[in-house]
Amino acid sequence: MSLYGMLRTSVSGMNAQSNLLSTVSDNIANSGTAGYKSSSTEFSSLLLQTDSSSYESGSVVTDVRHAVSKQGNLSYSGTSTDLAVQGNGFFMVQDPSGQTLLTRAGGFQVDAATGNLTNSAGLTLMGYDIADGKSPNVVLNGAGGLAAINLQNTKLAANPSTTGAFAANLPSNAAVVAAPTAGANAAASSFSQKSSLVAYDNVGNQVTLDIYMSKTAASPATWEVAVFDQADAPATGNFPYSSAALATQTLTFDSYGNLASGGSISLGVPGGQTLAIDMSGMTQLAANYTPLTASVNGNAPSSVSGVTINKDGTVYATDSNGRQSAIFKIPLATVESPDHLTPVAGNAFIANQESGAAQVGFAETAGVGSVVSGATEQSNVDMASELTKMIVAQRDYTANSKVFQTGTELLDVLMNLKR
Amino acid sequence: MSLTTAFNTAQSSLLTTATQLATSSRNVAGAGDPSASRKITVTTTTADGSARVVNITRASDNLLYERTLRATSASAGQQAVLQGLGQLQLTVGDTTSSTSPAAKLGALDNALNTYANAPDNTTLATAVVTAARDVAIGLNAATMTVQQLRGTADSKIADAVSQVNDLLTQFQAQNTAVVVGSENGTDVTDALDKRDAILSKIAEKMGVTTVTRAYNDMVVYTDSGATLFETTARTVSFKSTPVFDAATSGNSVFVDGVSVSGPSAAMPVQSGEIAGLTTVRDSLTVTYQNQLDEIARGLVATFAESDQTASGAPTLPGLFTPGSASVPGTLTPGLAGVIAVNSAFDPTVGGSPALLRDGGANGAAYVVNTASAAAYSAHLQATVTTLEAARTFDPAGQLSSGTDLATFAAGSVSWLEAQRQSASAASDSASAVLSQASNALSTTTGINLDQEYAAQLELERSYQASSKLIGVVGQLYDSLFAVIR
Repeated sequence: MSLYGMLRTSVSGMNAQSNLLSTVSDNIANSGTAGYKSSSTEFSSLLLQTDSSSYESGSVVTDVRHAVSKQGNLSYSGTSTDLAVQGNGFFMVQDPSGQTLLTRAGGFQVDAATGNLTNSAGLTLMGYDIADGKSPNVVLNGAGGLAAINLQNTKLAANPSTTGAFAANLPSNAAVVAAPTAGANAAASSFSQKSSLVAYDNVGNQVTLDIYMSKTAASPATWEVAVFDQADAPATGNFPYSSAALATQTLTFDSYGNLASGGSISLGVPGGQTLAIDMSGMTQLAANYTPLTASVNGNAPSSVSGVTINKDGTVYATDSNGRQSAIFKIPLATVESPDHLTPVAGNAFIANQESGAAQVGFAETAGVGSVVSGATEQSNVDMASELTKMIVAQRDYTANSKVFQTGTELLDVLMNLKR
Repeated sequence: MSLTTAFNTAQSSLLTTATQLATSSRNVAGAGDPSASRKITVTTTTADGSARVVNITRASDNLLYERTLRATSASAGQQAVLQGLGQLQLTVGDTTSSTSPAAKLGALDNALNTYANAPDNTTLATAVVTAARDVAIGLNAATMTVQQLRGTADSKIADAVSQVNDLLTQFQAQNTAVVVGSENGTDVTDALDKRDAILSKIAEKMGVTTVTRAYNDMVVYTDSGATLFETTARTVSFKSTPVFDAATSGNSVFVDGVSVSGPSAAMPVQSGEIAGLTTVRDSLTVTYQNQLDEIARGLVATFAESDQTASGAPTLPGLFTPGSASVPGTLTPGLAGVIAVNSAFDPTVGGSPALLRDGGANGAAYVVNTASAAAYSAHLQATVTTLEAARTFDPAGQLSSGTDLATFAAGSVSWLEAQRQSASAASDSASAVLSQASNALSTTTGINLDQEYAAQLELERSYQASSKLIGVVGQLYDSLFAVIR
């Protein structure tokens, strides 16, 4: 009975077009939503049994697709907590019920009540706590070990100095210093050169280390390096310090002025840790005393003045002295087939059987992409194609309705055969 | 390339152009500031084809900047030396000027010669004493000038040290701003400019070398390697000496506990105002004072009276008294400051100038003209011979020994003039190097208004083109909407 079939077919056609129009209206409505992934519809025909002498019209089935894997344009904002993913990864977020979701909507802000980073949908960004040098506790295929990224309770602990580097050119034609040298710490001690470095003890106090260099022998060229705590320095003159040298080291140089032995010195910072100072860059050439490298790690405790997020997803707290310390690591999750993820409210997605389970990885590793700080990913809706799709859908809907109208009119004719 | 992307790209171009224009206007505003460098907006193309401002940097040339710093220090040091020598020369004058010890010594020689030819003339005797007083006063005044100059140099060092401490505090503030900004990725160009300007001012005071660490963190050393700034400012200390005399030696400047100036400095700074002032205070003026002292010693020895009775009494000061009872045999610091005319010779205080002819200011044993002959000229002739004879001078005066007193005094003036001339030449060449280096630096990193105007015109075109693109995309949408009725 093809007339009824025609009515059913046209109704299914109208349904299909209204599905398309629904996706179009959703896409247009969310064309400004950060992290929104456009939906589209594909149709397939459903044919009934037909033979060569008659045609039984079938219907059309709608298959809704989500263009999750299509990268949206990045919109730069300048806010460091606005994040975008350039690549395939997803941020791992948690909804208030505790369920872990995936999202690309990275407009995160510090939630005043909790201090967590939450996006416009109220989802909390998750990461690994790596403060104080902890290594991230990664569960490759799950949300284990994840913690909310919280910037409110971030208190910078003082980092005592542990490593440093000091290199200088020691003048090769300096006179040999008569004993006692600086290392002897006697009132008559003399030295060739002196520099100082700031290090930090366990509670973050600055400890200024005086470094004395004294040439003790001309051939082979030998220098003595003695490190003192400046706090022990006498009120007048250079020596003697109230306590002995923290460490002394003997450097020898070959005939070309390169360091032959004694490339590092290890000393206990008063009230702090053992500080290993690398001195492998020392040379002894016929030039003036010229310090070339001087650095010591560690920092004094100080309030957080800013947060920066690296391309690899590491969250750094910057203190008012300008020192950075890593506090969190933001992981990115990937799935086998992102387009098959189940979308949920809030521009988030849930992994399912078809998409494959979420694999946790880090930005800047293969196939994951990188984190862009100070930008959000715009929706990947293309307005012009949505509008043209809409026009076509409108026409198709009208055509289907015409088919329906024709069908009913023909049925009317049929009904009128019998009066 | 969809319409939305085109729209997005045009919009990003507008934003970028606006930022570039803002940078350009900053440059124009800073054109008059010699320490301002040209700011550059660094833009990049993002994955979707739009443009975006990555950060703002500045034109810089580290090598030229370091060269300028060195030239600044060298020029300031030479300037300080030249100024000190200029002041010394102003007050001491030249051999022909009546104010110099050499000229006064010549006058004394003339008066003595005239008197030796007419030993009975009391007026001529008085003229010798007057000329002698002039020489003594001249030496006293020269000593005072030299010591005052040392005092001035010392207080200038104290000023320079307190300025360095202030500048280091300011440097710390700007350095922290630079480090924090660099770590957070914000625009630190202004802080960098300010920090460079402060460093240039420090370099005027003392020569510096720098090491740059991660995040633009700068470490500053003196040119001798003593630490001035590393994370925190180190203390620069100096204890000024209020009054100088010839025996006083000034204190050292200490940087981070190491003495960097003065004769016993462990790591002496090579250039800068402090190094120049130290040269004036501890070297040039000291040498000149030694020369004055040697002239004074020569005078005392020339006019000293020796025992005529062979009773073994010591040789004692005659016309000139050295402030002590005996005649000094070696360089005596400050002698030129205390030398005076013996009151026994001075008619204004009741003395007798005829003692020059007769001897005997120190008692009867020293009388040469025992017969009290009015025309006795042998002693006077002997004195003239001694005055014009070659003498041995201390090498600390840095003049050739074995010359007579007048040549030595003239040599002292030439020495001063030679020092001044070489300082002047050095100062000229240092300031020429400085001006060359500054010009080169300003050409490389400075703001060129022509360039800015040209850039602004280009930006205007770019802005117009982007706006046009937005208009076109808008029209395309309009025609699309027109289809949907």
